[in-house]
Amino acid sequence: MNGILLAMILALLIPIYEAWQDEDIWQKMLAFASIATKTSIMILVVSVLRDDWMIGLVGVLILSVGNAALMLLAHIIRRLNEA
Amino acid sequence: MLENLDVVAIAALLPLTACMLVTQVDPYHALIIRGILGAVAALVYALFGAADVALTEALVGTMLSITLYAIAVRSSMSLRLGTLATAAPNLDAAVPSALGQQLFPALRQAIKKHHLRLEVLPYASPQALQFALENKEIHAVCVPAEQLATTQGTDDVAAPYLLNVRIPRLYETLAAALPPELVAVSFSRALRLTSAAPPPPDSQLQNALEG
Repeated sequence: MNGILLAMILALLIPIYEAWQDEDIWQKMLAFASIATKTSIMILVVSVLRDDWMIGLVGVLILSVGNAALMLLAHIIRRLNEA
Repeated sequence: MLENLDVVAIAALLPLTACMLVTQVDPYHALIIRGILGAVAALVYALFGAADVALTEALVGTMLSITLYAIAVRSSMSLRLGTLATAAPNLDAAVPSALGQQLFPALRQAIKKHHLRLEVLPYASPQALQFALENKEIHAVCVPAEQLATTQGTDDVAAPYLLNVRIPRLYETLAAALPPELVAVSFSRALRLTSAAPPPPDSQLQNALEG
């Protein structure tokens, strides 16, 4: 079971490296979207492994609502580039 | 230690993203990395069993704070430049062509290094422009050089435009970065402008060529 989590951490390191290296702001936003989704899925995996419904509920909420921040930030950055 | 390797590896992501955040220079890039830090922090909190803290971090720490900070950064890190609008109703046509084609790209390039953006505000009359500068509504004024009253006229008549900056730090930055043959940069907290509307620059050029 730890192998699944370790593989997911390795997969999480890829967009973190991308967000660190790439100077394009949209590439950083893509990396942010990838990381936000991956961490939510990891919370769900942890909740299933531990059989903890409370953590699972929080994982579902973060997965569904947490990407609203991405949308709001993308709108502001888009209007910034247009101006 | 080894049986908790996944917990240690996930917890190590938090200082990693925090170090990424503090090394950012551009404020918008820093905001995005702050979102990444919030997502990783929510994962760490959920891993340690604090589901309520994780939910609060994801909703307030990530969503609300970066949205509010994005608006704050957008409204504060801008150079407000006042120009004179002529009688043309269209705002794009109101700005003289040389301003839009040569000066504004050079100005944007000069302030882009400092992560500022240019916000052009056309004013109807020279009096309104003076009033806005003295009341700190705008940071700088860009007018044709003929518009300046002769009592304050500069010796540098080669530049077709005058850029008067109200803030010393901004003046130092712009005076070093802008080409002197395009615009003369000056520093003054109040500006005296002639009230007569200047002829458009194109007709001035034609007059000079014919004369």
